[in-house]
Amino acid sequence: MSPPAAGIARTLQFGESMFPVGGFAFSGGLESAIQKGVVVDRDTLAAYVRTALEQAAQGDGIAVIHAHRAATAGDLDTLGAIDARVFARKLSGEARTMTTRMGKKFAEMSADIVGTAPVIAWRERIAAGATPGCYPVSLAVNFAAQGLAAHDAFVVHQFGVASTILSASLRLMKVSHVDTQRMLFALLANVDADHARAATARLDDMAGFAPMAEILAAVHVKAHVRLFMN
Amino acid sequence: MPDAGRALPPAPPTVAQPSPLAAAEALGAAPELAAFQDEPPQMASGMPGKTGWLKLDFERRGERTILADLAVRAPYMAQRVLYPEPQVPDLAWLFIITTSGCVLQGDRMALDVTAGPGARAHVTTQAATKLHGMDANYATQTQTLTAAAGAYVEYLPEPLIPHRGARLVSDTRLTVAADATLLYGEILQPGRKHHRPDDVFGATLLSLAVTAQRPDGRLLFHEKLVIEPQRRPMRQTGVMDGFDVFGNVVLLTPPAAAEQVLARLDADVDHAAGIAHGACRLPNDAGLVYKVLGRETADVRARVREFWAITREVLTGEPLSPPFFWR
Repeated sequence: MSPPAAGIARTLQFGESMFPVGGFAFSGGLESAIQKGVVVDRDTLAAYVRTALEQAAQGDGIAVIHAHRAATAGDLDTLGAIDARVFARKLSGEARTMTTRMGKKFAEMSADIVGTAPVIAWRERIAAGATPGCYPVSLAVNFAAQGLAAHDAFVVHQFGVASTILSASLRLMKVSHVDTQRMLFALLANVDADHARAATARLDDMAGFAPMAEILAAVHVKAHVRLFMN
Repeated sequence: MPDAGRALPPAPPTVAQPSPLAAAEALGAAPELAAFQDEPPQMASGMPGKTGWLKLDFERRGERTILADLAVRAPYMAQRVLYPEPQVPDLAWLFIITTSGCVLQGDRMALDVTAGPGARAHVTTQAATKLHGMDANYATQTQTLTAAAGAYVEYLPEPLIPHRGARLVSDTRLTVAADATLLYGEILQPGRKHHRPDDVFGATLLSLAVTAQRPDGRLLFHEKLVIEPQRRPMRQTGVMDGFDVFGNVVLLTPPAAAEQVLARLDADVDHAAGIAHGACRLPNDAGLVYKVLGRETADVRARVREFWAITREVLTGEPLSPPFFWR
């Protein structure tokens, strides 16, 4: 259990976009969206990030909360079942690469830094190939191990979804740091309502609807020139 | 309004239901339906005539695939099996009919299609599935499709047309042996597009879940689309953008065949032509998913047909027949 001030510091540490789990290599599909004229300006960028946040709140965010409960109870088998469900919902190879690379790296870093038994057990499960190690689950394991709330893990997850795409946008299109920070500020205003909905949802309720984002993932796989891994 | 204060539905009518219909009834507990538990003023939900059940069991018999077992309950009906494609003479075609002409509030529908070892079948519907407008209750459907070892099954119904205010929860379970192939495709229209402007994305709720598994229960992939156009704008960037019609095709097939199909497909977003499409590899070596967005249904149908034709050629070695002139 982290003391309150240390808890805030650690939420920031593990939640910030520069935490070295390789998030910088992914654009959340933005690279294709720009190449194909789906995202063309600040308004369409903000709408694209909003879609990604809505999908995460109804999908992976529910997994974060369920995984946090299972990790708090020390139930590794339930964590494995949640992990398999998150993985089975990733319908594109790039989405699976992103979640398992970041999830594995996050589990390794957590084991090295936090170093308590549950985070080490989770890293070993992933290393043994017994579970895919998706990012939302690894994040929840870390937060539960430190006594940080599921609510905070959910917020950090939503923040990561938005900041990954927005930081990629700085390298892909004409947009300023002030623009992206303004968007981040506005787009995360709904995070409490999103959390309230996700906190009462069943794991079976994980859902979404973003066909264009999925088509853009398919386009990206076939693209010749790529800066990002998705 | 999730959970708190949810009104309990009135006691369901005591009509003995076959177990697939019990599953269709149980879908009503989905949280997205919490606000729609009132009974229709017309015939109550789940009454005879509103509980369609269709069970189709295809089996390989010598040179042909036959319909070995059929159970049917109105408003479902099945036409007799046809063998319209000379290049695949064993492949059975079956057209499903819904005698009520549309899906109404309070309807519970259950479809169960099984293809035994080595059986080959194409199942489709005679016309589009119209989901009528609803002001009480909702409609549900369960679909289970099973392809045993070496089986080849295509389920490509005509489009789904949700009218204004329609509410549907659909749960589809696909069970496929490791060497079998199952092609499942849906086309979703935005509504009666040229009827009234508010018919475009006028549905209240469409919850469409697809789960694929191996016969031993191993999960392959899961997708649940919850579409609530009144709550979330459909034309948002990353959702439908400027497109109206959505095609969703799942091809469950061994990895080698999936790679051959994928290699022959392109992926693009073409705003000028009004079409966007692309295929991804499903998790757990399940096969492919192919997504299409278009401004018009005909363009989406053409892309789905192209995917179907490639699948046919790769999996059967024979070309797909030209479309029937009346379809």
